[in-house]
Amino acid sequence: MDINFSKEDLAFRDELREWLANDYPKHVKDKMDKGEHLTRQDMVDYHKALSAKGWMGYNWPVEYGGTGWSATQLYLFNKEFGMAGCPPLLAFGVSMVAPVIWTFGNEEQKKRFLPDILDFNTWWCQGYSEPGSGSDLASLKTKAVKDGDHYVVNGSKTWTTLAQNADWIFLLVRTDSSGKKQEGISFLLVDMKTPGIEVKPIITIDGDHEVNSVFFTDVKVPVENLVGEEGKGWTYAKFLLAHERFGIAAVGASMRALNQLKEVVSELNNSDLDKKVAEMEIAISALEMTELRLLSDLENGGHPGAESSILKIKGTEIQQGLTELFVEAAGEYALMYPGAGGYGSNDKPSGPEHAAVSLERFLNFRKTSIYGGSNEIQKNIISKFVLGV
Amino acid sequence: MNLSYTEEQVMLREQIQKFCETEYDFYKREEVVKSEDDFDANAWSLFAEQGWLSMPFSEESGGFGFGPVELSILFEEFGKSLVIEPYLSNVVLAGSVLDKSNFERKVELIENICSGSMHVSLAYAEAAHSYEYLKPDTNVSDSKLNGTKTLVLNGKNASKLIVSCVMNEELSLVLVDTTADGVSFNTFRTIDEKTCAEFTFENVSIQDSDIIASGDEAKNLLTETINLATLCISAEAVGCMVSCYNKTVQYTKEREQFDQPISNFQVLQHRMVDMFIDSELAKSLLFKAMLEVDADSEDKFKHVSALKAHVGKFGKLSAQNAVQLHGGMGVSEEMMIGHYLKKMVAIDAMFGNADFHLKSFSK
Repeated sequence: MDINFSKEDLAFRDELREWLANDYPKHVKDKMDKGEHLTRQDMVDYHKALSAKGWMGYNWPVEYGGTGWSATQLYLFNKEFGMAGCPPLLAFGVSMVAPVIWTFGNEEQKKRFLPDILDFNTWWCQGYSEPGSGSDLASLKTKAVKDGDHYVVNGSKTWTTLAQNADWIFLLVRTDSSGKKQEGISFLLVDMKTPGIEVKPIITIDGDHEVNSVFFTDVKVPVENLVGEEGKGWTYAKFLLAHERFGIAAVGASMRALNQLKEVVSELNNSDLDKKVAEMEIAISALEMTELRLLSDLENGGHPGAESSILKIKGTEIQQGLTELFVEAAGEYALMYPGAGGYGSNDKPSGPEHAAVSLERFLNFRKTSIYGGSNEIQKNIISKFVLGV
Repeated sequence: MNLSYTEEQVMLREQIQKFCETEYDFYKREEVVKSEDDFDANAWSLFAEQGWLSMPFSEESGGFGFGPVELSILFEEFGKSLVIEPYLSNVVLAGSVLDKSNFERKVELIENICSGSMHVSLAYAEAAHSYEYLKPDTNVSDSKLNGTKTLVLNGKNASKLIVSCVMNEELSLVLVDTTADGVSFNTFRTIDEKTCAEFTFENVSIQDSDIIASGDEAKNLLTETINLATLCISAEAVGCMVSCYNKTVQYTKEREQFDQPISNFQVLQHRMVDMFIDSELAKSLLFKAMLEVDADSEDKFKHVSALKAHVGKFGKLSAQNAVQLHGGMGVSEEMMIGHYLKKMVAIDAMFGNADFHLKSFSK
């Protein structure tokens, strides 16, 4: 047993740190460090800086212009970027739709879509959930009817993250309602500028505009935008969700938050809070080692399966727990309404700086145990595949 | 980075598993509990033959020089089957003090421990000093030992004791013969079916040749030994947690109510998933702690505290869940499952409970 990373992996980590020190766009870093909101342009700048370094395809095979990194390199990338407080990478293009395109798409689609994803020329969003289809995703009703050389799409999607910024959306649609609900689902790529698409903001309890409803009224989608076969969309959808797991434990980001929390708490002289912080630190250490154990297993040719649901469940509980402790540390200032200048505003209410962002984060992070397969769904997965009940 | 066990380590685990499954089932354990010795002489000789009693001793002392990883494997497996043999008191506590000391007679004593022919216990605890082991009231003055030591594990079988005491205003560790004049003791049963003793020393004569260590050396020996023992019983707790969820999953699949196995009910499934997750996290903290101890790093105490705090809290929770999901069977003395709960209570109580280690961790 050896808990140390190899020389090569440590050299790789140094390269990551060098980029973070020198090439991580400064205006993005400043805002992130202060807990401020990023604009669309900030996000584009950040992703384009990664593209320039050749790291946008961090989890892509080399043949499509990716890095071809090992599982350990991916782990280090995620951890170092998390510890540096970088914005989470937008997953929708690079790690969701792209693997579906290179695995199930045709040559024409690969040429048309993959390079723009690598260069971050297109911003993708995800058309999965519907008002009536959350955890029971296969019950989706948005309909696509073939009419000559295009599909006509009608229906609505919801909780669509940053759809207001997106150029394209990948869509699960029902092309056949006659069989089982998992059958008759197809996977379409849709230009957000197509007539008949309407994006309406959903303001979340933190006051932010992150998610949206997207409505489709007689939207014409060319048949060449169908990925793979008609009716096989459920297979592709599940394949995509498996790719979504990358970095779900968010150990690096949680370690950063913990260190900030410790600084805040060290000045409060509150032994109850000290104890909770110690418990949190132990929980993070346990999560980090769990991820390393799975990583070691993977690098030794194992196939860790449903165990990775632990990372989702514990990772999100920790992220949420940290935001809760920041609120406790804010004391009386937890009273202040976040986002004093309305959503998207970087105005701060009165009180200490850590208190100003604590409520916003606490409210925002409630989403983590809901998205990506709710934590209850994760527990069902573990029940079925690990406990065998 | 590679967190797999070596082939030898896997074989060691299989060997211990085989013993536990074939020669130490719950009925056998009950016999041992009811026996007069409170340990199984045959099993103990087998441990000696297998070399398990020599495992952690350095090669100079006639051992195999195995480290905390192998010890953790052994204790995990003992935990799964609730083995009550006095391994901790003899090999880990007394053994590791002797092994790391410069005591003249250590090789002879270690040989006797390894062969299983002699029991030696470490008398580290006192009633007035809960979890504070470096400032005992027991003392030696004018070559006479006076004081009372509590919770001496396996004390009744021990022919020698290593007693922590103050001598010349320094912490010291001295070797005492349990049959010496002035030594008396009472034996008590522990909640996890082992025994411990309370020893009183009245003007027990101590020669210079009985002094194992004093001053900083004694302090280090005691601190290091308690840390290793804490790691061992935490590994034992991890084994208990694994068994708790395995046995509970098994039971809920077999137990039928409302015309179906109760494992069909989601509220039970999710509780078992929680047990599974907590045991996996405990394993992860065990990996971290045993590797830090193995590397003799500065942080080794901190990571053992993290592990002990976790198993103290979540080990008990897992065992409580196991009892709850076994229904009435869970609270029956004749069923094994309730005994895991007793074991978890015992483990939490020893060498610092969850709160104590949480505080040590954040220091």
